[in-house]
Amino acid sequence: MSNSYTSDILKPFKLKTKQQELLIRVLILCLVYILAFITRLFSVLRYESMIHEFDPYFNYRTTLYVTQHGFYDFWNWFDYESWYPLGRIVGGTLYPGLMVTAALIYRLLHFLRFAVHIREVCVLTAPFFASNTTLVAYFFGKEIWDSGAGLVAAILIAVCPGYISRSVAGSYDNEGVAIFALLFTFYLFVKAVNTGSLAWGLASAFGYFYMVSAWGGYVFIINLIPLYVLVLLITGRYSMRLYVAYNCLYILGMLLAMQIRFVGFQHVQSGEHMAAMGVFFLMQVFYFLDWVKHMLSDTNLFQEFLRITVTCAVAVGGIALGVGMASGYISPWTGRFYSLLDPTYAKDHIPIIASVSEHQPTAWSSFMFDFHILLFLFPAGLYFCFKRLSDATIFIVMYGLTSMYFAGVMVRLILVATPAVCLISAIAVSATVKNLTVLLRSKTKVAQIGSTKGTSSAKASSKASLDQSQPFQKNGAMALLFGAFYLLSRYATHCTWVTSEAYSSPSIVLAARGAHGNRVIFDDYREAYFWLRQNTPLDAKVMSWWDYGYQITAMGNRTVIVDNNTWNNTHIATVGRAMSSYEDEAYEIIRSLDVDYVLVVFGGVTGYSSDDINKYKLSYYRFGEMMTEYGKPPGYDRARGVEIGNKDIKLEHLEEAFTTSNWIVRIYKVKPPNNRW
Amino acid sequence: MADHFFTFSIITLSLFVVASSGGLESELVADLLTLQAESKSGVIHLDDRTVSKFLTSPRTPRPYSFLIFFDAANFHDKPELRLRELRREFEIVASSFITNHNSSNTKLFFGDIEFRESQSSFQLFGVNSLPHVRLVGPTAKSLKDDSDVMDQGDFSRLAESMAEFVQYRTKLTVGPIHRPPALSKMQLGLITALLLLCLPLVAKRIFAGETLLHDPKIWLSGAVFVYFFSVSGAMHNIIRKMPMFLVDRNDPNKLVFFYQGSGMQLGAEGFAVGFLYTVVGLLLAFVTHVLVYVKDATAKRLAMLFTLLVSFWAVKKVILLDNWKTGYGIHGFWPSSWN
Repeated sequence: MSNSYTSDILKPFKLKTKQQELLIRVLILCLVYILAFITRLFSVLRYESMIHEFDPYFNYRTTLYVTQHGFYDFWNWFDYESWYPLGRIVGGTLYPGLMVTAALIYRLLHFLRFAVHIREVCVLTAPFFASNTTLVAYFFGKEIWDSGAGLVAAILIAVCPGYISRSVAGSYDNEGVAIFALLFTFYLFVKAVNTGSLAWGLASAFGYFYMVSAWGGYVFIINLIPLYVLVLLITGRYSMRLYVAYNCLYILGMLLAMQIRFVGFQHVQSGEHMAAMGVFFLMQVFYFLDWVKHMLSDTNLFQEFLRITVTCAVAVGGIALGVGMASGYISPWTGRFYSLLDPTYAKDHIPIIASVSEHQPTAWSSFMFDFHILLFLFPAGLYFCFKRLSDATIFIVMYGLTSMYFAGVMVRLILVATPAVCLISAIAVSATVKNLTVLLRSKTKVAQIGSTKGTSSAKASSKASLDQSQPFQKNGAMALLFGAFYLLSRYATHCTWVTSEAYSSPSIVLAARGAHGNRVIFDDYREAYFWLRQNTPLDAKVMSWWDYGYQITAMGNRTVIVDNNTWNNTHIATVGRAMSSYEDEAYEIIRSLDVDYVLVVFGGVTGYSSDDINKYKLSYYRFGEMMTEYGKPPGYDRARGVEIGNKDIKLEHLEEAFTTSNWIVRIYKVKPPNNRW
Repeated sequence: MADHFFTFSIITLSLFVVASSGGLESELVADLLTLQAESKSGVIHLDDRTVSKFLTSPRTPRPYSFLIFFDAANFHDKPELRLRELRREFEIVASSFITNHNSSNTKLFFGDIEFRESQSSFQLFGVNSLPHVRLVGPTAKSLKDDSDVMDQGDFSRLAESMAEFVQYRTKLTVGPIHRPPALSKMQLGLITALLLLCLPLVAKRIFAGETLLHDPKIWLSGAVFVYFFSVSGAMHNIIRKMPMFLVDRNDPNKLVFFYQGSGMQLGAEGFAVGFLYTVVGLLLAFVTHVLVYVKDATAKRLAMLFTLLVSFWAVKKVILLDNWKTGYGIHGFWPSSWN
């Protein structure tokens, strides 16, 4: 009696299988969303909510400008406080997507009466977009394979170190938003190709526009998608859906992309974008041929016509391209992207690109560090995709392979490969787990059928033989399932450790272990910048190496000579020459640049090894009297591990203005010239 | 009278000496020009005798400068010295210079000198490390102290930076550097013609759907190859020109295949790790798709077991190797109250 009573009460709460499934899926997605956000908050919890590194400070300063002055002033902004005396046209030399997004979020929050500071919005933009990326990954996985693969993809990408490295809280850089835009554009395009709907094509064009406004890596999209279309055409998968999707994306996307001043007319002028145009014309040719085939009834005639047309089309295209490049209208590939095709190019011809540590080729340990288990699952996923070839799986395979190749060329591009690797590995995991669980569940079903239905002898005998192998299979499946879960748990452990130890340090604050294991924090950089902000005249000009330019303008609020934009190598070379010359020659250069203060970074006291060692005199001034380490003579340089030779340095044209508490940043004031008679 | 005669004889003698030395000098220059014409790419091979003939014996100011490349044949195999590469670049600079001046220049000559043959010249110049390039100006008296040394920075961009060094020190322009192109014009033209000819045929085959490109297995193997190439860090090895293995510094008989330290790797290491990765992935695919068709249950079980063991071993090996290489100790985080 009570049984039926409770079951009556619970009846409205008893869900059908489909509803149960939906509930589980929604729950998992919510948890993954929160997980992706939380795992990126290590540095906020350990230090405080601040912007990391160097480049994000420029983004922060521009976002501040947008919120204070509005969009149109930002779009036409000429910054006279950096690259003195040249200035910098900010509006036309940056990708505004990130700043505009953060400003919009800030406006929205203020509209809802949450009075947050713009810095908090900036710090947390990247984790927020990372969470959104997991959602997009779920839908993408669902599109390619099924919803199970989508869920696994969302989980994998939520914690993958390759993505976390550029999207921790505080890393306010273009990539944080750009990866979301990249995956979103790809998802919309694949959806458009699968459905052939104009609405999805339109959405993908707008997605592409967002990507172009966010990051210079949009060149990857505008080359991958035409390559994908070409592969589909070659393998005979031309269809009306593809035609609609690509045309919509290309034309609308190109028109929208030209609205960004930094991109300008590159879509019709630059060699890097010509592939897309070529494929566009090829598509028109295909459509034309299809139409002719439809009209003609004679297949032989059509074959002839086909051959002639294609040859003519390709020849005409080749000639047009040749004429364009020879006349100089179509510019060749820029050095940045050319070095991806010919990786040895940068080393020989553009030393400044080759010197950046992120542009080094990748060793296998870096792959292992950023991907762990996913690397093993990748070829399995490739195989699964090849077994079930469709337009969508061909796309993900191409994305995965091209991005893996580029990731091998440059460490920084592991970021671009991460979504593809996560998706393909998710396919492998999902398919394997599905097969295993089907095996596990099938046994019980068979036993049920055997017991409830009648005992027909034929059925019984076949069931008996099946039952014999079932225990083995079931045990094997259980073992494999446990193995798979163990593997995934090791992956989660690895990812958490990597996030916590390697990718959560704000480079502006340094930490070390003291003698007793306690944590020692070096906040010298901010100390120096705030000293500059409070103790120097408003129009003072600061000369330092270009690494610190953005931070000085953002936090110190003073004009700098060179900064991280590195758009004028001659100016940088002038500063470098001043830093490494004798004091008299340097003084002349300093006077010609109108500099008031010189800032150097020195690691001899703390053992901080990435300092400006070649500003010898400025670094080592008065260092000879300092006792740095117990038991060593005074003047012992802890970064180089030797005692310095010349302990008694005299400066003639500069005087020491400020040295931070751990001697990491040293600021010198330039003395005015002697009075002349 | 005697004074006049004396002055006259002095003048004549000095004129004679000057003329003869001038004549001697033009003889030297002619000799150098012949040697240059005989040599490959305009780099004159010097030894002790020619060094004394052209550099130490003639009086300063000599009518020419000499840019000398110091070489040692037994060091050609050391990759970090890059001797072969620098030698080639030096030859390119020399040949470009000569071509740009229409073989009529007599102010600057290029030479190279080998260690085994001319050890005393090496001592004369005071050269004790390679690679070493020196410019001996017309007025240099002591070869060791008065000659200009090209330093590391001047090697960095190879022929271009060497040419700049020459221009800066000798005030002579080298002109544009002529590098031999990868494919000669003839070859390029031939290849283009071939491509144009095959184009209609290829198009026809594509439309018929018969080409090799239509077989998914080809694409699959291509895909696995690209994956293997990237993941094993082969690109890194190609760009950095890493050797396959290194000889152990302490024990010359042992070979070191694995490099300890993250961020760098050796050739064999890359291949080994790439192979391990690929094996695991492909075994999983094999088990899921091919093994199902095998009839014999025992064979199936054995194959499964084998796959499991091999995959487990491979994954463990890679993770151990990674931990050894990078020195990271990856661990989970337990709540501190549990300790």
